[in-house]
Amino acid sequence: GVALLPAPQNLTVLSTNMKHLLMWSPVAQPRETVSYSVEYQGEYESLYTSHLWIPSSRCSPTDSLECDVTDDITATVPYNFRVRAMLGSQTSAWSTLEPPFNRNSTVLIPPRMVVTEYGLHLVIKLEDLGPLFEFLVFYWRKEPDATEHFKVVKSGDSPLHLGTMEPGATYCVKAQARVNAIGRHSAFSQTRCVKMQGESLPLA
Amino acid sequence: LRRCLSSVDVHRIEQSFWDIRRALQTKDTFKNITILSSLKNLDSIKPVDVCCVTRHLLTFYRDRVFKDHQETSHEVKRKISKIANLFLQMQRTLEQCVHSQCGCSQEATNATRIVQDNYNQLEVSSAALKSLGELDIFLAWIGKNHRETSAA
Amino acid sequence: MKNVLHWNPPKGQHGAEVTYTVQYFIYGQKEWLSVSGCRSISRTYCDLSAETSDYEHQYYAKVQATWETKCSEWAETGRFYPFLETQVGPPEVVLKTGEKSISIVLTAPEKWKINPKDDPVSMQQIYSNLKYNVSVYNTKSRMWSQYITNSTLEFTWLEPSIQYCIHVESFVPGPPRLPLPSQKRCFSTLKDRMSALK
Repeated sequence: GVALLPAPQNLTVLSTNMKHLLMWSPVAQPRETVSYSVEYQGEYESLYTSHLWIPSSRCSPTDSLECDVTDDITATVPYNFRVRAMLGSQTSAWSTLEPPFNRNSTVLIPPRMVVTEYGLHLVIKLEDLGPLFEFLVFYWRKEPDATEHFKVVKSGDSPLHLGTMEPGATYCVKAQARVNAIGRHSAFSQTRCVKMQGESLPLA
Repeated sequence: LRRCLSSVDVHRIEQSFWDIRRALQTKDTFKNITILSSLKNLDSIKPVDVCCVTRHLLTFYRDRVFKDHQETSHEVKRKISKIANLFLQMQRTLEQCVHSQCGCSQEATNATRIVQDNYNQLEVSSAALKSLGELDIFLAWIGKNHRETSAA
Repeated sequence: MKNVLHWNPPKGQHGAEVTYTVQYFIYGQKEWLSVSGCRSISRTYCDLSAETSDYEHQYYAKVQATWETKCSEWAETGRFYPFLETQVGPPEVVLKTGEKSISIVLTAPEKWKINPKDDPVSMQQIYSNLKYNVSVYNTKSRMWSQYITNSTLEFTWLEPSIQYCIHVESFVPGPPRLPLPSQKRCFSTLKDRMSALK
């Protein structure tokens, strides 16, 4: 098809907690539904087989103005993306993302966390952010000079049993997300405190 | 040899390869030829040679195998792209990690030359296909040799 | 590493006496080899553990059916790589209970032996990254907890006078393998001495 359609503009990637969304502006065609096709190259392809572009696993084609490219990006190297518009037999020129996207620029936000007590057990449930994540969970008894403990939790290993606690005592917990594949971690979540059942034992 | 390569990367490559292993190996009809045969006699390799062999083989896959392979299936193409880009990342990690500790003994050099010779024996697309189908051998070798305590 | 080839009888041969012959091929070698114990057999499986005992090689196997005066095409497997594909059995599980604690001592299973008199080889020696997935069930709170370990686990957080059940799976990080979970084991923690005094 001859490239009569204008190429999509304003390609950007919005990436949060290793979920990457490629977005672009619509190509306006009155009373018509324009679809789009997304292709990508990893750094390998751009360096060694530059002619090779790979259709995105989810958006070739799509009617949407965004494409979840998380599954296409599996290495911490720069990725090129390009998008073109299609209407019937007409196709636009390719529009290429500039600069290429590297997942190490993703925004890491703390995980959602629920702390509960089961009798004397302190149990924490963490948001599942996918296999690339692990969590650092810090917990301590709410008292002066308390000792801080911590556990490393693989994503999906939740709920996690932190330990058996003293009856009547209050314990506090905070967590941060870590992604070894990009060597970065999030800020800490809000601290949450829970009072254990039963009367507190006299301090020795 | 300090463990340079992250086992997570190796496992992710294994997962991508496992998804296309049958597709690749089924198309390889030359059962009597292997490309990575020489890796088998490197099981008691010295740690310093592990780095040299790994670097040579990562380069072999980067410069020859992934380039020479022509793939029609988009799904297989995506998996190969994942592996190729993770190899690129692995190579950089290895280079940053080992600096000067990456000498090559005669044994290691011979082993990697045999791989190239085996590759050259076959027609290019068959050689590339066979080498891709033998990624399980290479990944198992990496898994064993890049762990600090290797099994008896 | 006990490797048994299984197959289904050919379709449409009900009533005919079908026998099978198996051959195997070591990837990179020259030719197909016959299997002494699996020539003209009527069963639909063949133990190739001895033939495939070098778990670092890769193998193919094929089967031909014969009935009356006819014989089938050879049916062939994909490439089989024991080192990456063998299932790893559950560990031996020894439980030591305390008042509010328990130790779970796990010992790796042994590799299949060609000759029963051979020295045992632990799967831990073959897979130094062998791990165990321990699932613990509290019958009172009905809560499952999961733990990954490579030898012994000690739980000091158990409540007294409660029945717990566990089962353990071996796993080797890497390509997917079918798990073989252990039998479920249950135990009860001892009564709490304090409560006994009240």
